Amino acid sequence: MVAYIVYLQQIPELLHKWSSSYDVYVPTRVEEHFYEFRPWQEKTHIAWDYDLAYSPLKVFFMPPREDLIHFDLHNYTASPVIKKTRQLLFGVHPYDIKAINQLDQLMGMDGVDVNYQNLRDNTVIFGLEPARVAETAFWAGVDAARVDFGFDLFWTRISPGAFLVRVGSAQGEEMLKMGSSITSATAAEKEAARRIHLRAAARADKQGLGFTWTQVPEFMNKFYSRKLYWREKAKTCLSCGSCNLVCPTCYCFDIQDETDDHLKQGKRYRQWDGCMLEGFSRIAGGLNFRPNPWERYRHRYMRKGKYIFDRIGELGCVGCGRCVKACTAKIANPKVVFSEIREAIKNEA
Amino acid sequence: MAVKPKVAFFDFAGCEGDQLQVANLEERLLDILAHIEVVSFREIKTEHSDDYDIAFVEGSITRPEDEKRLKEIRENAGILVALGACATIGGINCLKNFINESEYRSTVYGSSARWYSTYASRPLSAVVPVDMDIHGCPIDKNEFATAVKELLLGKIYTPPDYPVCAECKMAGNICRYEQGQLCLGIVTRAGCKACCVTEGSFCWGCRGMAPEANLDAAARIMEDHGFTRLNAQDRLRLYFGCTDRAFNPG
Amino acid sequence: MKPDFSPYVPRPATLVAKNTLSEYVTLFEFAQDSGKTLAHRPGQFIQVSIYGVGEAPFSVSSPPQSDHHHFELAVRRTGSVTNALHNLQTGSKVGIRGPYGSYFPMQKFVGQDLLFAAGGLGYIPIRSVLYYMLRHREEYGDIILLVGTRHPRERIFTDQLEEISRRSDVHVLETVDVPDESWQGNVGVITTLFPKIRINPENTNVAMIGPPVMYRFVIDECAKLGIPQERIYVSLERRMKCGLGKCGHCQINGINCCTDGPVFCYTKIANLPEAF
Ligand SMILES: Cc1cc2nc3c(=O)[nH]c(=O)nc-3n(C[C@H](O)[C@H](O)[C@H](O)COP(=O)(O)OP(=O)(O)OC[C@H]3O[C@@H](n4cnc5c(N)ncnc54)[C@H](O)[C@@H]3O)c2cc1C
Ligand code: SF4
Ligand code: SF4
Ligand code: SF4
Ligand code: SF4
Ligand code: SF4
Ligand code: FES
Repeated sequence: MVAYIVYLQQIPELLHKWSSSYDVYVPTRVEEHFYEFRPWQEKTHIAWDYDLAYSPLKVFFMPPREDLIHFDLHNYTASPVIKKTRQLLFGVHPYDIKAINQLDQLMGMDGVDVNYQNLRDNTVIFGLEPARVAETAFWAGVDAARVDFGFDLFWTRISPGAFLVRVGSAQGEEMLKMGSSITSATAAEKEAARRIHLRAAARADKQGLGFTWTQVPEFMNKFYSRKLYWREKAKTCLSCGSCNLVCPTCYCFDIQDETDDHLKQGKRYRQWDGCMLEGFSRIAGGLNFRPNPWERYRHRYMRKGKYIFDRIGELGCVGCGRCVKACTAKIANPKVVFSEIREAIKNEA
Repeated sequence: MAVKPKVAFFDFAGCEGDQLQVANLEERLLDILAHIEVVSFREIKTEHSDDYDIAFVEGSITRPEDEKRLKEIRENAGILVALGACATIGGINCLKNFINESEYRSTVYGSSARWYSTYASRPLSAVVPVDMDIHGCPIDKNEFATAVKELLLGKIYTPPDYPVCAECKMAGNICRYEQGQLCLGIVTRAGCKACCVTEGSFCWGCRGMAPEANLDAAARIMEDHGFTRLNAQDRLRLYFGCTDRAFNPG
Repeated sequence: MKPDFSPYVPRPATLVAKNTLSEYVTLFEFAQDSGKTLAHRPGQFIQVSIYGVGEAPFSVSSPPQSDHHHFELAVRRTGSVTNALHNLQTGSKVGIRGPYGSYFPMQKFVGQDLLFAAGGLGYIPIRSVLYYMLRHREEYGDIILLVGTRHPRERIFTDQLEEISRRSDVHVLETVDVPDESWQGNVGVITTLFPKIRINPENTNVAMIGPPVMYRFVIDECAKLGIPQERIYVSLERRMKCGLGKCGHCQINGINCCTDGPVFCYTKIANLPEAF
């Protein structure tokens, strides 16, 4: 493992250099208890100890609204709109990296999504060992406390003034070496980073699932037909889609057209959508394949706990806890759903 | 577009704030107007004509005379569009539906109250079929422009039918409930891009109730977040007055 | 630099002919402006764009053409895009993407019998399969076509069906749910036609498309006739936006109707509660 040591006071110089060729985003505190990735500027205070970025990082690869094509209503030509903004996300936690890895896979299946791919290819990701665990998070329980790929560099704060930086790609290493006098890490420093990771993981483990996540797909499959359970869970569901939209692994979208005021040209754009919204699977004529809130609620947990697993071998939930926070009805909670179902099945056995 | 469709604007009980929004489109309005012929519009011209294809109607129906006039408009117009909260959902005028009749009549008309006939305020759709709704109090001028352009392309604009929260998430706002505030976005029809929350306020519910809104849940959520039933009811009645379900949430 | 490619960019096509099929359904004949053939397979669909209005999926109703670049869609007027299509004059342009999705396994059907069950608009995609087989008639065994429509006035392709039913090598049976005075034929839902047919279960494949309620009943009838599940093919409709397995709208439990379907072998969806 190639690793370097970077001191806190070296970071501004690096950020300056990086920001000349990238839009740099860092975690910042936007108000008490709330953090977001925001553009880095000279005076930006980086929240190294943030627990969770309020918005999912998919905003950088799949913005809430994104043009797909421009068209001409008169001669009926159309051309692609593909953004290639060079971005650097500095300070991404492992669960969010795992979510991005998952999107990479899903957006690359059955034909690449070029809009996603181009933004992704032009984005550099610097991971960061979490210093705190959000109250609603359970990433340690769903195999998201650590990632082996998906980052260009991975930063661990081994002392108040120093980071151990693991290299994840040649590009990352090159960017790191733009700094003056960056030294290689010693074996002792690597060991310190390992211990810090273990301590962080142990803290996070207290908020895990309490059982191994690999059992989840089977439980979910068994519980699909338990209408009573799903009905009860979704009784106060507002069909507001917040749980979908804040989820870093959700990627569903709608497509719509908009023309200019002369009715000559226009654009077709996509916009975030979610399977919890009532009209999501309604077809022309009014037939809805998931007309009831509980059916949509069930579908979302089946996606997270089973369907995505069937496709790529991991859960569709990285345990970030965003949906748990976002749901005003306090019913969106994969950890609770998975656990309740496991309990119920155990008791029946 | 060979023949320009003829467009007329009408108003009933309301403040004409929506027509003002249309006028506010300024230079954009000129571009859009190039595709239509406005035959009647108090905000920008004085003449009037009964020969029109599309009628934009603002305001709610509060008197029997209104009904008659609205039915005439419906007869004349190929497409009838309700413009703004008063027209689409009865709007703020529905507040009076909660006050006993003699009280609001004397408030509004003073001592001459008995000379005027007025009844419970209602949206246009309670009187005639409406082809298209442009929600909001006031309407969003961009949504109005979109709706007109879609009409010109032969499409009936359909506003989103999900709650404001979805758009609020897309806007990246921190939820008001997480900040200890009350917000009606959880049951209000989206389409405004959650503008009030984005601008620092909360959702008042001006676009009316989302078709599948779960009011029981909303009442419980508000209580769970420490608001009284009365807080919730007051808020709901502001715009949801014409919805039976809003009279007694929870 | 290589110009960007995006699967979301439609290609232009021109409307060359319009034919009314019923009060709400019209047959549209398009030509690809590129002059190339559409290269679709029976059962596949394309996404049709009317810029400014939107995009909607339609099954290609004509059989694959190797010799020219025309193709046909039969469209029911029901909303924004379908209305706009009906309002087009010949010579107007649309945008098309695709063909997309799975198709009927025509090679597997070679040498075997085929039983078609078409409910309502389900005949539109079936027509592509049927005409393909008629063109290569000698490669296939017996062909039975069952067509069910709600009401006589909703029948589509009546002239062509009349023509086919006069052929000795296709057995056509039609029924309507609700007859009117003019209707002389069978009355009842499509399953009431099953007692009237003779098939060899060892050698028969089924292709069925219709309204969602139809499938279970027709599948039961097929089971009664002894047709194994692996020789039953269905095509399903879902809300579709991207057609590329991305947008999520077309999900049926854990699969995507647009890329895994729309044509499915029954065994693949028999265990999906959301399929029918
Ligand atoms: C694989 C496939 C093949 C098909 N083949 C054919 C065919 O050959 N012929 C044919 O006539 N039809 C076919 N259809 C159906 C056809 O795609 C629909 O009729 C068409 O999408 C309607 O589009 P529209 O814009 O006219 O309708 P609209 O009702 O305006 O629908 C526009 C979009 O909004 C959605 N929508 C509908 N109602 C609502 C609502 N109330 N609120 C929110 N959204 C809504 C629709 O799902 C659609 O995506 C097929 C569908 C599929 C999936
Ligand atoms: S389902 Fe919830 S906890 Fe899991 S990844 Fe999505 S937002 Fe995070
Ligand atoms: S959970 Fe729902 S919104 Fe999220 S990706 Fe799956 S289907 Fe789409
Ligand atoms: S589970 Fe919660 S966040 Fe999700 S749609 Fe229902 S109420 Fe909204
Ligand atoms: S602030 Fe209001 S609109 Fe926004 S998510 Fe919260 S409840 Fe919904
Ligand atoms: S946020 Fe609420 S009050 Fe504000 S415009 Fe939207 S619907 Fe109206
Ligand atoms: S239509 Fe978008 S995933 Fe199938």
